[in-house]
Amino acid sequence: MTKAKRLSTAIVLQRFGPLLGLMILCGALGILSDHFLTFDNLVNVFRQSAVNALVALGQLAVIVTAGIDLSVGSILGLSCVLAAQMLKAGVPPAAALVAALGIGAAMGSINGILLTKLRLPHPFIPTLGMMNVGRGLALVVSGGFPISELPSGFRFWGAGSVLWIPAPVIVVVVCYLIFHVFLTRTTVGRDIYAIGGNPQAAMLSGVPVDRRLITVYLLSGLMAGAAGIVLAGRMNSGFPLAGSGAELDSIAAVIIGGASFFGGVGTVGGTLVGALIMAVLRNGLNLLNVSASWQTVVIGVVIVGAVLVDVVRKRAAERAQSAAA
Amino acid sequence: MATPSVLLELRGISKSFSGFRVLDGVDFTVWPGEIHALAGENGAGKSTLMNIVSGVLTADSGEMRWEGCAVSVRTPREAQNLGIAFVHQELALAPDLSVAENIFLGRHPSARGWVRWRDIERRSRELLDELGHGIDARARVRDLSLAQRQLVEIARALAFQSRLIIMDEPTAPLTTRDAEGLFRTMRALRDRGVSIIYISHRLKEIFEIADRVTVMRDGRTVLSATPAATSEDGLVRAMAGEVLTRASAASPGAAAGSMQPALRVDEPHRLTVHRGEVVGIAGLAGAGRTRLLETLFGARGRPVKAEIDGTPVTIRHPQDAVRHGLALVPDDRKAKGLVLGAGLVENIALPAARGRLFLRAEVERLATERLVDELRIRAASIDQPLRFLSGGNQQKAVLAKWLYAGARIFLLDEPTRGVDVRSKAEIYEIILTLCARGCAVLVASSEMEELMALAGRIVVMHRGRIAGEMARHEASEERILKLATGGTH
Repeated sequence: MTKAKRLSTAIVLQRFGPLLGLMILCGALGILSDHFLTFDNLVNVFRQSAVNALVALGQLAVIVTAGIDLSVGSILGLSCVLAAQMLKAGVPPAAALVAALGIGAAMGSINGILLTKLRLPHPFIPTLGMMNVGRGLALVVSGGFPISELPSGFRFWGAGSVLWIPAPVIVVVVCYLIFHVFLTRTTVGRDIYAIGGNPQAAMLSGVPVDRRLITVYLLSGLMAGAAGIVLAGRMNSGFPLAGSGAELDSIAAVIIGGASFFGGVGTVGGTLVGALIMAVLRNGLNLLNVSASWQTVVIGVVIVGAVLVDVVRKRAAERAQSAAA
Repeated sequence: MATPSVLLELRGISKSFSGFRVLDGVDFTVWPGEIHALAGENGAGKSTLMNIVSGVLTADSGEMRWEGCAVSVRTPREAQNLGIAFVHQELALAPDLSVAENIFLGRHPSARGWVRWRDIERRSRELLDELGHGIDARARVRDLSLAQRQLVEIARALAFQSRLIIMDEPTAPLTTRDAEGLFRTMRALRDRGVSIIYISHRLKEIFEIADRVTVMRDGRTVLSATPAATSEDGLVRAMAGEVLTRASAASPGAAAGSMQPALRVDEPHRLTVHRGEVVGIAGLAGAGRTRLLETLFGARGRPVKAEIDGTPVTIRHPQDAVRHGLALVPDDRKAKGLVLGAGLVENIALPAARGRLFLRAEVERLATERLVDELRIRAASIDQPLRFLSGGNQQKAVLAKWLYAGARIFLLDEPTRGVDVRSKAEIYEIILTLCARGCAVLVASSEMEELMALAGRIVVMHRGRIAGEMARHEASEERILKLATGGTH
């Protein structure tokens, strides 16, 4: 194997930029607040990042195909209240869990089918529609009120722990490992990157483009369903407005994590770092007593800043590659 | 020579692109009120010359005179101000604006910044009435037929008081009836003193409409005459030049092939390719070569019934084609052939991976390295994004992915377009090696020399249909060109 071992600074930056940003952020917060780098607080950050991390994982697959999924927040809310309502009705937790995942996968695949088989012009359209349908159904199912007091067997997924490790963190780690293998080690994963890189070339290479896109949107819905279970468990209730804005948070995590809206680029590791950066920021700003309103401003700036840094480092990498050519 | 009544005179116009001389001292004259046909093979320099006249490109050397005065036209705007308009092949109209808005696009008559819509509509109606095809000035361009859109472009040219209108293959997308209508309009314009440069491949039309015809070949004008003073054969000979019946360089693999048909179809065209055979597809731009190859590959949304190695199959989409051992090397490798942001491994292994779940990373890397060696693909590493590779190396990467997938029937669309001379020779070598291994190859090309060098048999297309077929030994550029321009066999 003659793979070049020489790593220029540009390439290091491109590969590890988001991680570097996360470390600098943690270092700075550690200096500014005595509380930030304590074990309890870090466990807390991980727990808080779990819901966004799960949604972002599905969103990553969608964005790699040069798509966007606006419906994940609503799907999250729907799966949340559906599970809660079923539990209230005495359905065993395992069945409620399967139903919550199932509704997510079903709504996601409808997005995919609308996009590919009915040839809607851009994923923005079907997922925007589904965003409203999902939220509406969540309100219908719950009657507009939160459904609280869930059985502990179900609450485990959001609030439980194994030894010191929160259950949602375990869910995140397992899902991320599976997605990592899926996207980097399977032919389906490579098809997904090829579709994002050049759909026409992928189609003319025999990639079943429609089927792959449906899979991707199904997975996005499924992950939103999983996030709904974790959130319901953590809050000990299913409330119909759960996950409002989750679509934008997940997109932000994916983009901060180095994926490109143009498709074909993005990693599972980067997305995890992106979700953690957002959680660390919120947590850190809380510790520093920054008001929620200003937190929102800061997060907005970070999203744009991260993409700006990304654009600059990509240009540097292009130069490095051109020089090597 | 420069009598004052000449409208446009070009003398010694030359133009090179990155060292390659496209125009080599062209002389060209247009008189007021004439329809002047400009003919020549693809790549003869017609478009470049017209782009210089209309200010899109600037000549490296040479002189341009307009009504006897030396002028330099550096932008399309300057050409427009002189009175030169270009009606492009892919019409340059805004589909969602009205006809009237399009006619005055970029030049709205205005009063202190306010657009005078009423004037625009009135002037547009007058212009359209003059052309007399009953187009509504308020209609949206999107709702118009191609023929009507052309008329809008012509009205646009007239709105700017153009005295010279350049039309690039205006009849190519038209039905015969629409073409007749266009000719009537052109004659009417001529009678009003407007000159028209009419680029066309269709010899019959040239004889029908033109007052004079100029033929270009290899960046020079080789003939300028009235149609009466020449003949279809005369034009064809002028376009093809000296290399009439030159036998191609010996190519051992490209003989008639075995007698076993590898691919046989009746629809959309009756066509057979045998194992070990290269069949060429000739035809002018727009003759339907790309459509034919993409249809055979299942990429045009229409199922194709074919016999592959004698077994009947239906190809509904590219997945079927790949499964049956077909390979498509598309005409535009960047848009259709490659994932440019990915490296050689990802691209080369893409079609081969069907039916497996997990990647075999090590196998793929070794195979890619072997193919890179074998096809002499020059890249910094097999992970370097293909965007950074030269055209020739990119094209070899497209071939490599089908070699790795084990394809047996190759559909090649302009396989050496935009490729340097060395890679071109190497690609020919690859094609002939495929042949020697018993693969069947269908190659579409606008370069006749390429077809003569590779193909044992040449199929000629004209306006979406197969106009004829000939074995290599009976093929000549002259015969091919005649069929491709709609002449009789």
